[in-house]
Amino acid sequence: MTDSKYFTTTKKGEIFELKAELNSDKKEKKKEAVKKVIASMTVGKDVSALFPDVVNCMQTDNLELKKLVYLYLMNYAKSQPDMAIMAVNTFVKDCEDPNPLIRALAVRTMGCIRVDKITEYLCEPLRKCLKDEDPYVRKTAAVCVAKLHDINAQLVEDQGFLDTLKDLISDSNPMVVANAVAALSEIAESHPSSNLLDLNPQSINKLLTALNECTEWGQIFILDCLANYMPKDDREAQSICERVTPRLSHANSAVVLSAVKVLMKFMEMLSKDLDYYGTLLKKLAPPLVTLLSAEPELQYVALRNINLIVQKRPEILKHEMKVFFVKYNDPIYVKLEKLDIMIRLASQANIAQVLAELKEYATEVDVDFVRKAVRAIGRCAIKVEQSAERCVSTLLDLIQTKVNYVVQEAIVVIKDIFRKYPNKYESVIATLCENLDSLDEPEARAAMIWIVGEYAERIDNADELLESFLEGFHDESTQVQLQLLTAIVKLFLKKPTETQELVQQVLSLATQDSDNPDLRDRGYIYWRLLSTDPVAAKEVVLAEKPLISEETDLIEPTLLDELICYIGTLASVYHKPPSAFVEGSRGVVHKSLPPRTGSSESAESPDAAPSAGQAAEQPAVIPAQGDLLGDLLNLDLGPPVSGPPLAASSVQMGAVDLLGGGLDSLMGDESEGLRSDVGGSPAMGGSGFTAPGPAAPAAMGAPLGSGLGDLFDLTGGVGTLSGSYVAPKTVWLPAMKAKGLEISGTFSRQVGSICMDLVLTNKALQVMSDFAIQFNRNSFGLAPAAPLQVHAPLAPNQSVEISLPLNTVGSVMKMDPLNNLQVAVKNNIDVFYFSTLYPLHILFVEDGKMERQMFLATWKDIPNENEAQFQIKDCSLNADAVSSKLQGSNIFTIAKRNVEGQDMLYQSLKLTNGIWVLAELRIQPSNPSFTDLELSLKCRAPEVSQYVYQAYDAILKN
Amino acid sequence: MISQLFILSSKGDRLVYRNFRGDGGDDVTDAFYRAVTSLPGDQAPVFMAREGQHFVHVRHGGLYVGATTTADTSPFVLVEFLNRLVTLLREHCGTLSEKSVSVNVALVQELLGEMVDFGYVQTTATEVLRSATHGEPETTKAFSLLDLRSVGLFGAETQQSRVAPGSVTNRPVLPPRGEQGGRREVFVDVVERLTVVIAANGTPLKVDVQGEIRLKSFVPGACELRMGLTEELSVGTEEQCGYGRLPLAAVAFHSSVDLEEFEQERVLRVTPGPGEVTLMRYQLAEDVAVPLPFRLLPSVEWEPAGRLRIHLKLRCDLPPKNHAINVVLQLPLPREASSLAQELSSPEQTAELQGGGRSLRWAIPRCQGGAQLGAVFRVQLPPTPPLGLGPAALTFELPALTVSGLRLRWLRLSAPPGAPPGPPQRWVRHLTHSDSYVVRL
Repeated sequence: MTDSKYFTTTKKGEIFELKAELNSDKKEKKKEAVKKVIASMTVGKDVSALFPDVVNCMQTDNLELKKLVYLYLMNYAKSQPDMAIMAVNTFVKDCEDPNPLIRALAVRTMGCIRVDKITEYLCEPLRKCLKDEDPYVRKTAAVCVAKLHDINAQLVEDQGFLDTLKDLISDSNPMVVANAVAALSEIAESHPSSNLLDLNPQSINKLLTALNECTEWGQIFILDCLANYMPKDDREAQSICERVTPRLSHANSAVVLSAVKVLMKFMEMLSKDLDYYGTLLKKLAPPLVTLLSAEPELQYVALRNINLIVQKRPEILKHEMKVFFVKYNDPIYVKLEKLDIMIRLASQANIAQVLAELKEYATEVDVDFVRKAVRAIGRCAIKVEQSAERCVSTLLDLIQTKVNYVVQEAIVVIKDIFRKYPNKYESVIATLCENLDSLDEPEARAAMIWIVGEYAERIDNADELLESFLEGFHDESTQVQLQLLTAIVKLFLKKPTETQELVQQVLSLATQDSDNPDLRDRGYIYWRLLSTDPVAAKEVVLAEKPLISEETDLIEPTLLDELICYIGTLASVYHKPPSAFVEGSRGVVHKSLPPRTGSSESAESPDAAPSAGQAAEQPAVIPAQGDLLGDLLNLDLGPPVSGPPLAASSVQMGAVDLLGGGLDSLMGDESEGLRSDVGGSPAMGGSGFTAPGPAAPAAMGAPLGSGLGDLFDLTGGVGTLSGSYVAPKTVWLPAMKAKGLEISGTFSRQVGSICMDLVLTNKALQVMSDFAIQFNRNSFGLAPAAPLQVHAPLAPNQSVEISLPLNTVGSVMKMDPLNNLQVAVKNNIDVFYFSTLYPLHILFVEDGKMERQMFLATWKDIPNENEAQFQIKDCSLNADAVSSKLQGSNIFTIAKRNVEGQDMLYQSLKLTNGIWVLAELRIQPSNPSFTDLELSLKCRAPEVSQYVYQAYDAILKN
Repeated sequence: MISQLFILSSKGDRLVYRNFRGDGGDDVTDAFYRAVTSLPGDQAPVFMAREGQHFVHVRHGGLYVGATTTADTSPFVLVEFLNRLVTLLREHCGTLSEKSVSVNVALVQELLGEMVDFGYVQTTATEVLRSATHGEPETTKAFSLLDLRSVGLFGAETQQSRVAPGSVTNRPVLPPRGEQGGRREVFVDVVERLTVVIAANGTPLKVDVQGEIRLKSFVPGACELRMGLTEELSVGTEEQCGYGRLPLAAVAFHSSVDLEEFEQERVLRVTPGPGEVTLMRYQLAEDVAVPLPFRLLPSVEWEPAGRLRIHLKLRCDLPPKNHAINVVLQLPLPREASSLAQELSSPEQTAELQGGGRSLRWAIPRCQGGAQLGAVFRVQLPPTPPLGLGPAALTFELPALTVSGLRLRWLRLSAPPGAPPGPPQRWVRHLTHSDSYVVRL
């Protein structure tokens, strides 16, 4: 019998012919006909028309024929449910067959037919099969319960199959146990709360016993189930580890990895001081390394997992560098993975070896691989300081090859090396400049332009070089345009005399001829900076940049911890948590590592990633480390030093109007969302240079330009009061949570400037130094206006008081509560995070007094649903005292009326972001010495009212 | 777990398809083929997430053997299972090709039914499957004894088998039912893979030998098999590695191997059913000096007008009675070469430019031990400053030789009671092939 006839196309007569053959008397002919039908079905042809004829062949004692008919049924029953009923009797009969293979086949097939009417008939046979004497039948029945559950979960519960399934965990046959575990695990996933897989030391013991006896695939089900168990204590964890360890030498890589997964998880619970911990660690390496001689597909999966493991526990593989060297016949995807791991394992000890390898790779044929190899050399330089010099010279050698893509990659990484080691390798700039013409990729062009701008004073013809780029400005990609703009501004600040024309040219190109808002905005900022205060511009543009970190390529620690839990799942191949790629709700349970028990917690080195337990204690952990780095990496616009001065008198260019007017309307009233858009645009970088509106002077320091004086309405005796209300200091960061650093503080506003008054106390036993502070994005863009200045290291038990000036030009993100501020403080020990609430009145600006007419119009204009009412009880002040006290905090009384013996005050205030709040304050004397105040607030952004009220309350009660 | 499983031809035609969990549409094979053919070059094809589905596949014999799966599945289970499936299909259908699979669709479906239930892998053991399946394989080509001239090793992806698939072992392991006869044969192969990196000055930087002993039995029923290995074998650091010892860094045995006599006698005992099994995998200790089969002595000169003259001398350091076959040297060039002039020492050798002129390929069909082959190439390159060539990569096969020296001394079979008279045929083969043999210039 040959094949070709199975595969002829379905002609009209063919179905007819098959029909005849299926109804033939001869068994052999029947079987061949069914085979033909199956062959057609498999390649996707529709043979459903033959349903009754095929079902007729079901009654046979030929097992092979029966299997084929069953296969047909599984495929077409759903589309022909009524016809499928015809098969039920045979199924039920087959479940009683003396041959266990037939019993199992029948129950297996019935479970795969997703037709309700058939499912009903399944229950009785299934119940019998679950208790069958033959293990082959029982193991098939166990899986069938999961199938039935998938079709009709309620039925499974009602029929009590779950209990029977649980009993099978104690079955004498290990394969039955394994399938029962698999089925229960699957069912438990859809009932997260139920206690189906009641894992306790006894049942775990049973599973571990079955583990030794069942097939390799069964071992995987059991190991995967074990991984979900949470041992009581470290002793139990250790004993499970001991019994799982032998699986590491199994020939099946899936068994090995499932075992590794269990071990990695339970190791978290073991104390690092334990001898056993070290032994176990040593045992993990060989099986992982062995996988690297398997098929390329397995190697790839192994490498992706190893990549995670070396980030979490580099010690496991630190001596195995050689196995990750690339073989020339590895597929490219294996090569790239190996390269990545080589960098992760690179250290001072092996760097020479690694560099020699990388240099060889850079001469290979495969372009993608060569590029990655060149990048890797740069990453080595940044990671291992001692190797930087050799890396640079290697890169120079590679540039000499003049191979286009090698040169471009080399320039990109050399830029990073400059960022990491400033003023060390600038001698190579001349060589780089020689290759200017060959650069045709945006990233390389941008890198080269950055280098020229950054080191303009050392490059004689920097202006010529940049000018040559400028010719095709509009054809460049945005990346290059932005770099070019910044570079030319840098050049101008360094060599102002010769380059005036150039800078004007680029500014007009960027601001007038470009449609790209990022480019335009950056252009305006530079323009305004340069025209108002070149000195400040110099400080901003040429500010010293923070060094880049070597760990930029690492997976963020919290994500890494999560991924480690998913070792041996697809997440470990994609390097994304399942929530990032699983659609729908099925089975996405956030996993975390178990907390370590025992006493070694404090002995853990600080660089160990924080365990999930710690993270859970501090829900207010603000920036994922990545965000912080992102901010630090922001290339051009150094840290937000201070709001760009806005001394109106010296502004000459027309552009300013555009800025002031345009953005003003953007930032007014309810446009918070818009504002954060502007702030967050990528061209602005992480520091979010939201251009300041007219409110900006408020954020400036005390020395105000004379021209601004008239902006302030100084009537009403502001001067008589000592400034706005300042709350007493409270502890923001207890020493316990910050390795001995205690921070307490408060906020104040004095003559237009906001201050964060801090007291840092060192309660640790070591000296603290290198303090730095950073804010997370917040609702009003609060940001430090100067670095945190702690002049001398802080000795143990010493305190220092610092007044940190703030501005409101930082990035904006709406917080909940609105006045929440998340702060990161760094010192030589670690980075600490805390969050605090600031009183809103620090944001009330000095020019918040509205014209009377304006007030009336605005009050009418704001819809009534925006009005909010509050009560302030038991205030000891009369109307005048209230008015003057509030004025101290920039809440201005516009009018006062007396209605039926009650004083009414009409007040206005304005927030730093331009939001006006109008208030009506009714003062009702309640008893001789106290008054009750009724406050009505109207504002276009009603969400601030609550916080304005809190400010009123705080000011008036103190 | 596995949701759907499929085997596609190299053109994307569906040969086998099975939906284990009743979810997902029937068009997955099309979606898969679209995804795999449109994949960018720098992305790994093994796992792909497309249109809410996760695809995994391996490629064998031009076929895509793939599956769709859910996110919480172990990728190792999937890849390992697909590889096992390929082996089993080879065992049952003889070879794995578009034709052999499509002829045996019914058998493949029957096997899949036993191997996977509701997406859970149940078994991949040949004996178990044998007892639970009833289909008969259809061979695509009658087996002929005369076909021995192209003896290739069964699973080994040797250069030879890629060129001319040996057909001795390319037949179903299981004889047709009812025929007691069949041809009763046992093949034992010792295959080593050599990974070498030689520095520009000729010193070996890295020499890595991985080997395995594989057994493929066509004998129905169980028969006990004993084989004696080289006695100088020593494992790990358990004993002093004296002169003439053969120290192995790591050894792993298949679970069916009886090691009772291994410690003392270096004898492996195994009672295999029909089918293929890897009895032992080993890795040679790193510090063993293995005689390297090839030396390359290059000299490179720049001639005026961008011509590069490359003189290569390839010395084969094998014992004179051995030889290497299918030797191919690949030399990456620094630039796209536009033309090649060659002087080769014998007519059966060939040389050509590959990859759009980015590399030079020199092929030598056969090279006797002790021979020294010379070749001169002149390539025309775009004018640029001089820079390094290479590294050169060699691929070759060394028949009847294991570089480590590990050999099978003897192989004995004791037939089970009731077996037909006469011992089964025994074949023992040794082979080394290059995994990655790189010479830096």
